Amino acid sequence: MPNEAKSIIMELEHLSVDFPVKGALPFQKKRRVQAVTDVSLKIESGETFGIVGESGCGKSTIANAMVGMIRPTEGKVIFKGQDLFALERKLFKEARRDMQMIFQDPFSSLNPRFNVYQIISEPMLIRGKSTPEEMKERVIELLRLVGLSDKDLYRHPSDFSGGQRQRIGIARAISLNPDFLICDEPVSALDVSVHAQILNLLMELQEKLQMTYVFISHNLAVVKNLCDHMIVMYLGKVMESGSTKAIYKNPLHPYTNALLTAVLDVDIDNQKERVILEGDIPSPIDPPKGCRFYQRCPMAMMGCKSIAAPLIEVEPGHFVSCHKVNGFPEPYANEENTRPLDPENE
Amino acid sequence: MSDLMLKLRNLKVVFPAQEGIIKAVEGIDLDIGKGECVALVGESGCGKSVTSLAIMKLLNSPPALVKVDEINLDGEELKNHSDAKMQELRGKTLSMIFQDAMTALNPVMTIGRQIDEIYIRHNNYSKREARKLTIKALDLVGVPEAKSRANSFPHQLSGGMRQRVLIAMAFACMPKLIIADEPTTALDVTIQAQVLNVLSDMQKKHHVSLLLITHDLSVVANMADTIYVMYSGKIVETASKRELFTSPKHPYTEGLLGSVPRLSDSHHHFVQIPDAVPHPMFKPGGCYFHPRCSYCTEECKLKMPPLVKTADGSEYRCFHPLNLKGGHKDAK
Ligand SMILES: Nc1ncnc2c1ncn2[C@@H]1O[C@H](COP(=O)(O)OP(=O)(O)OP(=O)(O)O)[C@@H](O)[C@H]1O
Ligand SMILES: Nc1ncnc2c1ncn2[C@@H]1O[C@H](COP(=O)(O)OP(=O)(O)OP(=O)(O)O)[C@@H](O)[C@H]1O
Ligand SMILES: [Mg+2]
Ligand SMILES: [Mg+2]
Repeated sequence: MPNEAKSIIMELEHLSVDFPVKGALPFQKKRRVQAVTDVSLKIESGETFGIVGESGCGKSTIANAMVGMIRPTEGKVIFKGQDLFALERKLFKEARRDMQMIFQDPFSSLNPRFNVYQIISEPMLIRGKSTPEEMKERVIELLRLVGLSDKDLYRHPSDFSGGQRQRIGIARAISLNPDFLICDEPVSALDVSVHAQILNLLMELQEKLQMTYVFISHNLAVVKNLCDHMIVMYLGKVMESGSTKAIYKNPLHPYTNALLTAVLDVDIDNQKERVILEGDIPSPIDPPKGCRFYQRCPMAMMGCKSIAAPLIEVEPGHFVSCHKVNGFPEPYANEENTRPLDPENE
Repeated sequence: MSDLMLKLRNLKVVFPAQEGIIKAVEGIDLDIGKGECVALVGESGCGKSVTSLAIMKLLNSPPALVKVDEINLDGEELKNHSDAKMQELRGKTLSMIFQDAMTALNPVMTIGRQIDEIYIRHNNYSKREARKLTIKALDLVGVPEAKSRANSFPHQLSGGMRQRVLIAMAFACMPKLIIADEPTTALDVTIQAQVLNVLSDMQKKHHVSLLLITHDLSVVANMADTIYVMYSGKIVETASKRELFTSPKHPYTEGLLGSVPRLSDSHHHFVQIPDAVPHPMFKPGGCYFHPRCSYCTEECKLKMPPLVKTADGSEYRCFHPLNLKGGHKDAK
């Protein structure tokens, strides 16, 4: 890494994404799912940035907005200094080529009727700049990079195991030399014994090809060893953000803590006291006005219900959105609001 | 009477297919003590579900061909039981919790009715009595507002709630043995923690035997007493939880333990097992794990190692076992 200030490759400015949903009954008015609400972040060139949270918290929606597949309801996606959705068509397409995505499910993300050569060369074919000879050469090179061989060229996805299919997906994703790669739960559909292979491969490729990664996962043990910076999300909002080191050393948000202790550990002499959250993840349709987490929070106070919790910097670069940590903002810092939330009154 | 709740001997299941024969389970022995939680751990396709279905005698034949020497449940031999007899046992002495609650529940019946039926069918309770018990059972597994929730249909509940309903159903008639096949795999981490907790509490409270099936070793670290590790249709290692986690004997177990990332790790490399699980129709000769094993020798390529018993009752299927005298093995 050079010494000068690291350049920012991707930036989200107050990104919000809503989806309209039909009411349960025909005469009910349309409502909106607030999939992502006011998320801002900066990703440095060459780093791995983690997005962590449970199902439905908006991880994939953020990923899709970053690569230009979902238009934000509000806010901006800034890729290499340019507002992605303000770009003219040609430049937009070019920018999108520099960003690729690896998906969770290697079984449905590859076209079963194509052979490996067709799958991997498709992005090159669409770009239309290479001769068939060049493409074939490149595909073989890519296969070697991801640990497959030229013998696999004309086989079909069904001939491969899950881990091998994920390798094919990776080869395809890096075929046009992207510098920004989003890995959306790249191992959660794979056999446990091949998780490590794929994670190691991704790290090796990052080093070789100098890519920036966004790594989406719910496994905090994986994120810890992979990511430089991270955000923890809940119901579309950022609960905590900062360097991975700072967050693991000093997790501040009660939700981060719960996630950390929910990671089951194979270290049986070291089983920690687990924080087991009550209740279910609420629906992102009409989410709570106050802190989005208050219904499941073991430390919730009366004020958490109605007063939004801003994301506040607690130590350099480490932000948390929690009234317990930050205290209520001025007019609200009274005794009534700081009383523990009484579950009976809920 | 012995202390064993389940004694399974030499279970074999094959599926004939056009291109060859899938040997799904190749001669498995399994013991589950009374009140014990036994975990059966292995990767996708190794034969865990087929084993559990065979114990319940729920495998359709054809296509499955099942051979077994003994399926002894608390002294009762199930091997030659008729379908009707098994039907009676299931839900009463033996019950099962499936991974996919949506397919295990009847979508057009309220969950309350579904649990009521179990009480009515097996204990001849009246509808009123049954509903009382149902509400109590739902309450016990942590379904909030059990009384009104009983009137919900399965699709109106979240995944975690449905899984709790399945647990309530499995315990409804105080069975002797419960088989839980990946009961939390489809759930979010914080919900997974809740559901495992409920399952573990219920098991201890009611002192039933539990066979917990999972592909995730970290799930059993909190719960299981004894662990069976399965690979490609065979048991490769059996040991108490402590023994298995602290001094695994089979290289596959060691590899699995090593490849689970830990919060306490600080390095940037994940320990990996090379290659992948063999295709069930084309298993390698000799030890099934040998192509992926870093300790492999000529012998391993030629012969399937037998299951060897150690003094402390652990078993392993390997010519080059690790950690044999107990204690920790140094890094390779
Ligand atoms: N096209 C859509 N239309 C309506 N709602 C949507 C759409 N896409 C996503 N959502 C909703 O937005 C929320 C966030 O979804 P998203 O897929 O981003 O979650 P996620 O964090 O990736 O979850 P998972 O871990 O399950 O992949 C969810 O409640 C989801 O139901
Ligand atoms: N009905 C069937 N017909 C043919 N083959 C089958 C059938 N059911 C299972 N098999 C095969 O038997 C083997 C063992 O399957 P099983 O479902 O027991 O695996 P498992 O260990 O439960 O895996 P998973 O973790 O994916 O649930 C697999 O190779 C599978 O393909
Ligand atoms: Mg997603
Ligand atoms: Mg299964």
